[in-house]
Amino acid sequence: MEININKQENVTTVKLVGRLDTPASVEVSKELEPVAADAAGTIILDCKDLTYISSSGLRIFLTLRKAATAQGGTVIVKSINQDIRNVFMMTGFLNLFRIEE
Amino acid sequence: MKLIRSVIQGLMLVIVAAVTLEATGLIQYYFTQKGIRKEATQRAESRLEVAKLKILDIVDQTEVAVHNSVWLAQWALSVPDSLWAVSRRMVQDNPVIVGSTIALVPGYDRKRPLFSPYCFQAPGESSIRVSSLATEEYDYPSQEWFTKPLELGEGYWSEPYVDEGGGEILMTTYSVPLKAPDGRFVAVLTADISLDWLNDLVISARTYPNAVCTLVSRSGKNMVGDTGTLPKDEKNHVFSTTVDKTGWAISVIIPDKEIFGGIRQVGFLVALLQVLGIAMIIVILFSAAKDQKKFKELNERKERMENELRIARAIQMSMIPKIFPPFPERKDLDMSATIVPAKEVGGDLYDFYIRDEKLIFCIGDVSGKGIPASLVMAVTRSLFRTVSAHEDNPAAIVRIMNNSMAEVNESNMFVTFFIGILDLASGHLRYCNAGHNAPLILTDAKHYLPVESNLPLGVLAGFEFKEQEAVMAYDDAIFLYTDGLTEAENATHELFGEDRMDAVLSTRRSSDAHMEAIKKAVAEFVGEAPQSDDLTMLFIHYLNGSLNQQKERHLVLHNSVDQISQLADFLQEIADEKGLDASTAMNINLALEEAVTNVIMYAYPEGTDGLVDLEAILRDDSLVFILKDNGTPFDPTAAPEADVTLSAEERNIGGLGIFLVRKIMDTVHYVRSDGQNVLSMTKNI
Repeated sequence: MEININKQENVTTVKLVGRLDTPASVEVSKELEPVAADAAGTIILDCKDLTYISSSGLRIFLTLRKAATAQGGTVIVKSINQDIRNVFMMTGFLNLFRIEE
Repeated sequence: MKLIRSVIQGLMLVIVAAVTLEATGLIQYYFTQKGIRKEATQRAESRLEVAKLKILDIVDQTEVAVHNSVWLAQWALSVPDSLWAVSRRMVQDNPVIVGSTIALVPGYDRKRPLFSPYCFQAPGESSIRVSSLATEEYDYPSQEWFTKPLELGEGYWSEPYVDEGGGEILMTTYSVPLKAPDGRFVAVLTADISLDWLNDLVISARTYPNAVCTLVSRSGKNMVGDTGTLPKDEKNHVFSTTVDKTGWAISVIIPDKEIFGGIRQVGFLVALLQVLGIAMIIVILFSAAKDQKKFKELNERKERMENELRIARAIQMSMIPKIFPPFPERKDLDMSATIVPAKEVGGDLYDFYIRDEKLIFCIGDVSGKGIPASLVMAVTRSLFRTVSAHEDNPAAIVRIMNNSMAEVNESNMFVTFFIGILDLASGHLRYCNAGHNAPLILTDAKHYLPVESNLPLGVLAGFEFKEQEAVMAYDDAIFLYTDGLTEAENATHELFGEDRMDAVLSTRRSSDAHMEAIKKAVAEFVGEAPQSDDLTMLFIHYLNGSLNQQKERHLVLHNSVDQISQLADFLQEIADEKGLDASTAMNINLALEEAVTNVIMYAYPEGTDGLVDLEAILRDDSLVFILKDNGTPFDPTAAPEADVTLSAEERNIGGLGIFLVRKIMDTVHYVRSDGQNVLSMTKNI
């Protein structure tokens, strides 16, 4: 699992590469703590290379969204593949996030 | 309304019965009376005829005797004194004739103006007396017997009379005129006959004790017979006949009550009996109407009970699987079962189902029969299903069932019970017996499954049941039955027995065929004898079905989050093996990860080391994952489902994991077995 965080002005792009399974989520969760703390702007979760997500990963997404909403920010989930889209669909996450191609 | 109707019906019946009875009586009376009248008439007429014939017989004899003497008398007229001899001979030669005279017309004999020599047989004397009737006082020429024949020119029977000279006896006289050679009637020849027999003869015509018999002369004089008077103003029946020559009429007068008194008395008795009979019919009808009401009520109650029993039977039968084959999709099982209650409902049971690739089956026999037994059966079956749903240890299942049954066993009913759990993947059979008879294992060598008898269910709470185990090879079969089979009785109280059962089971055939063969053998053996006990059988044939295609994978993890990454490789191998597409593989991976994470995070207390055992069974059409841990009992399937429709603010962070497992897998099942949490998940592919 790789994670790249890139902040330009008030747009933070988080690129997730690989499998966001439970062990990975532990790390990603830590990495994203500063992003969550400063979430007044726009947060783009770039999922183009995200191949897998478990409920722990979904939990991170949700935590981030809650933080952003609280600070007046926005979370955009970008370029999820079909499998992950299915997981989003199953869990109702499709309605919680702004999904962009 | 119904009662009134039945009373009316009863009354109608009584009336019809009474009318019929009375009509029959009347008709019978009428014909009897007719018969009696006919009989009385015939009797009277025949008696009269007999009397008449007897009289005529004597009359004829007399007439013949007289006529035979006419020529002699006429010849003797020329010598009147010789007439003595003629009359004497008349009396002498004819016993009927008691007296005879030849009386000359006055003046015929010049010497004597009157001449009438009379010979007679005095009663009680043997000699014949003679006397002359030519006396002044008697004046024979004026007597009827003398004048009439001369006047008529032929024989004449006198009116009967009482002979004053000859002993006061009733007499009659037949007299014929005698001609002189010149043809003039010049004398009369007479023959007196006694009529003392006539009285007896006439009396003999009396056919009824109070009948009156009389003989009336031509002139209407009542000559002989009964002199008593008949009751007046009463109906009498008169029968009579006339004796031609003498002009006598013989009559029998029979009072009506003499003839019909008897039948009237009988008729009265019959009528009385009929009245009594009708009274009895009324009494019977009314009590019958009452009884009928009772009977009807009883019948209705019986019908209601039978109906309820039918429903009870349907309910009972709906509790047990009875569609065979029960698992048509499975090639590793060939099963058949039957239950034949001795009464409408029975106390036997069998049940089975498959869970987590295990066939869980049982057979039981409740002590007693009928409704009480069926209720206990229903309880047993429910307990079996409930307890075995989350427990894989047969002894534990039996123990729990026993405890809950023994605690409330007020009717002291118990159940012999056998439970088996067959691991269909391995053929490993775990079982526990609670006082039931040992099942038969049909392998190359047939044998009884060794069983601890333990105790039947419901006898003693807290009893520790021992579990046993065995291994079933492919093509082995297990035959379970209740003692209704081996103890089926025929008419001579012989038992079907194990030998007969063994004989039937010696042939290898399908479970259905086995079931039919045994049922047939029992039916033939029992014959007409009533079924004495419930008969239940369960036949399980374990086959090498699709399972030979199966492969297993095993993964053991420690309770550490970083171990989860191994799942991906584990699953990749399976995906490669089964040729799964990436999406399916990913989904299965996700479900397994959620399940395993759940165990790693929550099963063991923090800081303790624990193992997570994941077994995968690869089938042609499905994947079965069995996840086991030794942690604290926890049923993830019991947790409430996550509500995925909530908004982000309302959503909880947790609860998604088991939701995903459920969403992705086709079946998810949790049991606590032997101190382990066992979560089975099946994914159809």
